[in-house]
Amino acid sequence: MAETRESTEQRSFPRSAACLPEIFDFIDAFFRKAAIADEHRLPIHFAVEELFTNLVKYSKGGTRDIRLELKREGARLAVSLTDFDVPEFDMRKTADVDVTKDIKDRKPGGLGIHLTKRMFDDIGYEYVDGRSTTTFFKALE
Amino acid sequence: MLDIRVDDKGVILLSGRFDASQAAKAETFMAAVTESRILDLGELQYISSLGLGVLLATQKRLMGRGHTLKLVNLKGHVREVFHYAGFDAIFSIDPLPGA
Repeated sequence: MAETRESTEQRSFPRSAACLPEIFDFIDAFFRKAAIADEHRLPIHFAVEELFTNLVKYSKGGTRDIRLELKREGARLAVSLTDFDVPEFDMRKTADVDVTKDIKDRKPGGLGIHLTKRMFDDIGYEYVDGRSTTTFFKALE
Repeated sequence: MLDIRVDDKGVILLSGRFDASQAAKAETFMAAVTESRILDLGELQYISSLGLGVLLATQKRLMGRGHTLKLVNLKGHVREVFHYAGFDAIFSIDPLPGA
């Protein structure tokens, strides 16, 4: 039977990596409420952690809480992170990391965003009046 | 929460979640590792790039001294992340002996 469930939750979190356990709990609660298969949960944790910590570290001028929105649209999950009063940052345009380099030339920087791009085929971005929103889409099959 | 234990054979066992909120704890532990060790990740459910960075830094430091970390028993999400990161080329990754 086709899945037609629709569900949306959003919450804002202070700009601190210490919030990550609370963020993961929020995601897990949404997965239970929206009846989303557990196989999709850890990739969503990964993408949200990587972008959230990147925004905390590098969004110049960002002082407001970061908003996380989870939306089930039938057979698709949309996960958005919105940062306010910050410069544009479209992770889709960041350079890929060369993961074939010898260990002596490897550095951890940029790896999280690179891996997130590898995990998600469909990533959206919108920048309006200082409001920067990245959305990860996941097919729920 | 990340849990770090050492068994009676000196194998380091990581379990739980290795995310950015746990990186400092892992860095402190790994800084004290000064020779070749086996790292059993069989009970590690999740790792992010901060966790990968801690392991990469440890491996680079140990290899500079002629030692290495050997990773065993990677599963699911953790194995997938290691593969995407190209870490299967810079770490020795094996299943547990006898597994």
